Amino acid sequence: MDKDTLKKEIREFIVDTFLFGEGADSFTDSDSFMQTGIVDSTGILEVTGFIEEKFDFAIENEEMTPVNLDSVDNLVAFISKKVNG
Amino acid sequence: MNLFQILEKSAALFPTNRAVIYYDDSITYQKLYQNVITLSDYLISLNLPNNSRIGLFLENSIDYVTAYFAVTKAGCTVVPLDTSLHPEKLLTILKDSEIHLLFAHFKFQRIFKKLYEMQHGLSHIISEKDFKLKSESITYYDLQQILNSPTQTTLPKVTNPIHWDDANNAPHELAAMFYTSGSTGEAKGVMLSHKNLLSNTIGTIEYLKLTEIDSIMVILPFYYIYGNSLMLTHIATGGTLVIDNRFMYAETILDTMEKEKVTGLSGVPSNFLILLNKSTFTERKFPHLRYMTQAGGAMAPDIIKRVVDAFPEKELYIMYGQTEASPRITWLPPEKVLTKIGSIGIEVNGLEVKLLDENGSEVSENQVGEIVVGGDSVMLGYWNQPDEEKEVLKNGKLFTGDLAKRDDDGYLYIVGRKKEIIKSGGNRISVKEVEETLLSNSKIHEVAVFGVDDDIFGEAVKAVIVLRDGEEADEKEIQKYVRTLLPEFKVPRYVQFIENLPKSQAGKVDKKALR
Repeated sequence: MDKDTLKKEIREFIVDTFLFGEGADSFTDSDSFMQTGIVDSTGILEVTGFIEEKFDFAIENEEMTPVNLDSVDNLVAFISKKVNG
Repeated sequence: MNLFQILEKSAALFPTNRAVIYYDDSITYQKLYQNVITLSDYLISLNLPNNSRIGLFLENSIDYVTAYFAVTKAGCTVVPLDTSLHPEKLLTILKDSEIHLLFAHFKFQRIFKKLYEMQHGLSHIISEKDFKLKSESITYYDLQQILNSPTQTTLPKVTNPIHWDDANNAPHELAAMFYTSGSTGEAKGVMLSHKNLLSNTIGTIEYLKLTEIDSIMVILPFYYIYGNSLMLTHIATGGTLVIDNRFMYAETILDTMEKEKVTGLSGVPSNFLILLNKSTFTERKFPHLRYMTQAGGAMAPDIIKRVVDAFPEKELYIMYGQTEASPRITWLPPEKVLTKIGSIGIEVNGLEVKLLDENGSEVSENQVGEIVVGGDSVMLGYWNQPDEEKEVLKNGKLFTGDLAKRDDDGYLYIVGRKKEIIKSGGNRISVKEVEETLLSNSKIHEVAVFGVDDDIFGEAVKAVIVLRDGEEADEKEIQKYVRTLLPEFKVPRYVQFIENLPKSQAGKVDKKALR
């Protein structure tokens, strides 16, 4: 999957799950989920569950960091690294 | 002494101690005191009606602590609000408590878009950044601008640290109101007085042996009464609140604990489970950590043992409480954690706990009775809900709805609950509210909701559903539907579909059979 398609899928999931389909333009790809209040601590488990299921890999404890998970851009980079090795 | 004066006392005794550390920012007691006075003067200048309720829709931060004490200094009632609330629920609380002035963080402005379309009653919003989304009926204020014109302050002369006399002399007048889920699903405003909160704060400081050298890793929201207790106990002793709102990234929290050399960590069972199962918690040493506390629902004995095994030299306090008791009711001394495993311990000083049967008589040892609490920490009542209040508050005693027995040594053990409430990850979830939400879905014919054991959250919500004839749905669809109406923690983690719900002869759903 190319990065643009990946980005699109992640955005769709975030908007669909946490913004109820509204406000797709209310955050940028680099916006922190925490700082914008889009995803809370329970929500991050939804995000990781979605990624693990969709891309068929396990997220290790030490990978649960903002650098990997706290924005669309960070997620795209993290998933690409995991999938492509 | 009132709530504000605990800050005043610590500012006088420990002016240069850091009151709050918030990521790369921090504030000393002296500066916090000055900011609180400045903000309080500003609130007073707005000529709000006497005893106004002022809402805090803020995440844990220096702003939160400043606003909390400024509201109490201004003689108003502070109403901490759950920042995960959906607009409809927030609106219900704003209306119920008649909040006209709200502190709100910019990051939550999205929720206001929908709120503005409703009859919200808000006239003032104070925020740390200019809201992009505005309503014509609201005046907006910049918190930083207010604090940039400081009031001249002089610290009073104080010689004694906080003491029981301070609580005994505290006014028994409304200081704070915490909204909590009841068994009916309607949020109830628990009214707590200065005396309620101060007496509980002192009782807690006493058994935790807190002093000005203590610092607590704050991962629990301050709007939650357990988080509120962390704030008050540390501000009252001149200690430090180390705030990090990134618990979802457990490693980050552990790094902060090490960096800031915290002496305490407080959590609900799900926090400890996540730390044990999904982080390097047990591989680290935390040389400065003196103790840990756990409350917010029962933690499984296995988990308690794992925490003790990992950190045998640290003290682990198991605690029990309710918002209605400000909140601490009992505590289990760390040296008894293994010998009395499963116990919620003994009464906090200043409180009296009795176990009563249905006739109101005290039960004998090892017999089950309802936990009934007396003392200065027992709430004033429920805001605007006299009927609900009468059910739990009788002759000044709090009927908790929790069933327990006491062993020969006087240690209490919870054995069940009288009311249908699920305790998940420290949150109280009304079974009725989740059932009613599910029933509002036209595909659903009947539903039974209950709590099931969960490795992470202690208890998780399970829904067993009977669909209407000809309808089809799957787990994900149902969860998605609930998510649009309720906060994430109330969304059923497990959904099961069956043909018919088992029922008793009286036609009542037999949840025991479903479990």
